[in-house]
Amino acid sequence: MAAGDTQAVRTLNERIEPYFAIIGPMAMILALLLFMAIVEPARYFRWSNVNLILLDAALYMPMAMAMTFVITQRGIDLSVGSIAALSAIIMAFLIKQFGFSVYFALPIALGLGALMGLVNGLIITRFNVPDLIGTLAMDLVYRGFALVIAKGLVLARFPELITEIGRGRLPGLIPIPVVIGIATMIAGFVLLRRSHFGRYTIAIGSNPEAAELTGIAVNRHKVYAYVLCGACAALAGVMLTGKLNAIQATSAPYFNLHVIAAVVVGGTSLFGGRASMIGSFAGVLLLSMMINALVTLRIEFFWQSVASGVVIVSSVALYSWMQKKDRDGAGGLIAALMTSEGQKLTRFSAFIIGALILLLAIGAIFAGNPQASG
Amino acid sequence: MSDTPLVEMRGITKRFGGVTALSDVDLDAYAGEVLAIVGDNGAGKSTLIKILTGVYQPTAGEMFLAGERISFASHAGAIAKGIDAVYQTLALADHLDPPANMFLGNELTKKVMGVTVLDIARMRTETERVLMDRLGVTLKSLDSPTESLSGGQRQAVAIARAVYHEDLRVLVMDEPTAALGPQETARTLNLIETLKAQGLAIILISHSLDEVFQVSDRIHVQRRGKRVGFVRTTESSNQAVLGMIIGAKEAA
Repeated sequence: MAAGDTQAVRTLNERIEPYFAIIGPMAMILALLLFMAIVEPARYFRWSNVNLILLDAALYMPMAMAMTFVITQRGIDLSVGSIAALSAIIMAFLIKQFGFSVYFALPIALGLGALMGLVNGLIITRFNVPDLIGTLAMDLVYRGFALVIAKGLVLARFPELITEIGRGRLPGLIPIPVVIGIATMIAGFVLLRRSHFGRYTIAIGSNPEAAELTGIAVNRHKVYAYVLCGACAALAGVMLTGKLNAIQATSAPYFNLHVIAAVVVGGTSLFGGRASMIGSFAGVLLLSMMINALVTLRIEFFWQSVASGVVIVSSVALYSWMQKKDRDGAGGLIAALMTSEGQKLTRFSAFIIGALILLLAIGAIFAGNPQASG
Repeated sequence: MSDTPLVEMRGITKRFGGVTALSDVDLDAYAGEVLAIVGDNGAGKSTLIKILTGVYQPTAGEMFLAGERISFASHAGAIAKGIDAVYQTLALADHLDPPANMFLGNELTKKVMGVTVLDIARMRTETERVLMDRLGVTLKSLDSPTESLSGGQRQAVAIARAVYHEDLRVLVMDEPTAALGPQETARTLNLIETLKAQGLAIILISHSLDEVFQVSDRIHVQRRGKRVGFVRTTESSNQAVLGMIIGAKEAA
C-alpha cells in the first residue's frame, strides 16, 4: 500500500487532532473578533487599542511560557503573582532606598525570582508537599514578605531602563515589552521542542514512572521548571513595575489564575504530557483581547474575573470531551454530539451559557458610572 | 547451542525484611536461546529478573555474565553491561513520538552555533533503521504520539529501545503478550524468534504455557521462591511443567 493511501484512510478527525490545541483558542479569538466587529468595531480595532492589547498580553507571555513547562510536568505554580510582586518590591527598594544601580538591581530581581522558584521546587520534590498546597502556601509567604518589606508604600518613578522595559517602544512602533514577551515565547518553543529539558518535561508529565526508569532525573527537571517559572515571574514583575512606573506589595493579584487560564485555554493539558507553546501564546492573546473587549464594551472591571473563570472551565471541559476516545459511535465530533449523552451535555452547556448571558445582561444594566452615595 | 551459559545466577537469595522472596535460586540463560521463566503468582519470577536487571540487589548470591562476575548498583549499571528489560507496562511516554521514546534519556544531539540541541532528524532515521533492520517492523507514522499506535507496535518501540544498544546481550521480557490480541501475540513471538537468531539471550516471563512451548528453548520453573525445575523445552511437556508449577511433582 502506498504511503498516500494510508494518509487518505486517516479520518479528518484524526488529522486535525494534533492541532486541536491551536484551533481552540484561534476559534475563540475569531469569534471574539467577529463579535467586536459587529458591536464595537470603531473603538476595538483602533491602532491604539491593539497596542493596549499587546502591551497587556506581553506582561503574561514570559509567565505563560514557563507555566507551560510546569503544567506539562503535571505540576502547577500558584505563586507567580507573589514572586512577581516580591522581586519587584525588592528591586524597587534596592534602587530607591539603597541607591543600587539599576544594572545591578535588575539581575538581582531576576535571580531572586529564580531562587523563589527553586524553593518552590525543593519543597515539592524534597518534602513531597503536593504542588497545589506547596505553591499556594509559598504564595502567602512571598506575599507576606512583600507586605512586610513595603508596608503600605507605593514606590514610584524608576530609572529609564525599567520604564523602557515596561512601556518603551522601539523605533518602528513596536513596544519593547511585546518584543520581550514574544522573544520569551520563541525561546520557550525552542526549549520545548529542541532541548533535553523540553523533551523530559513531556516525558515526566506523560509517564513519570517510565521517565524514572529510563534514567531521567525526574525531580531535578521538575525543579528546573519551577526555577524557570520563578525567574519569568520576576521578569513579569519588572515589566509591570516599568509599565506602571510604580509598584506596591499588593500588585499583581490576578497573575496566577490568569496565567494558568491562558496556558490551559491554549491546550496544554492539566493532566500532563500535552504541551503547546503556540497554544499558550494564543491563550495569552485571547485573554487579553477578551478583557480589553469587556473594557471597550464598558462592562465593569470586576466582570473580568467571571469571564476568566468561565473561559477556563469551558476550555478544560471541551478538551476533556474531545480527548475522550471511547465515545459511543466514535464516528466524529458531530456524531458524538448526536448521542443521547452528547445531547444531554449540549442542553446542560446551553443552560449554563444562557444563565451567564442573563447575568451579563443584568450586569450591563447596572453598570454605569458609580455614583456617590449619601 | 553453546554449553556454557551466557548468564549464570548462583545461590540468589533475596529477603524483604522478614519475607524471603527468593532462597538459593540458580538461573542459567544461553546466548541464542529463549529461556522461559514460569511459575505461579508470588513465585519470585519478577524479583529474580529485577535482580538480574539491577533494579534490586540480592541479599546473597553471585551473578556471572560470560564467566565474568557482575553486580549492579542500579538498572543503569545492568544496561551498561548489556542486560536490559522490556516491561509489561512498556515504560513509554505516550505523548512523545516513537523516536523520542526510543532515545528517551539517551538523546542524540548536535551543535547549532555552539549550542547543543536535539538532533530530531537523525533520531528519526535511526529509529526507522533499528525498527526495520533489527525487528523487521515499519510503523505507519513516526511523527504521531506513541499513544496512537497499537499494542504490538508500542511493544516494538519498547524492544527497539532495548536493542538499540549495540552491545545488548541479554533481553528480559516481562509478560510481553499479556495485553495483546492473538494476531499481535503472534507478531511478538516472531519478534522474539528474530532477536534470538541475532544471538541474544532472551529471558521470557510468561503465564501462557502454550506460548512458552512455542518459542522457548529451556524452561525455568519457579515455585515459592525456589527453582523447582529446569528443563529443555523439547524434552518436557505442558503437563509436566504445569505439575512443577503447582507443586504436584518436584523435578531434579
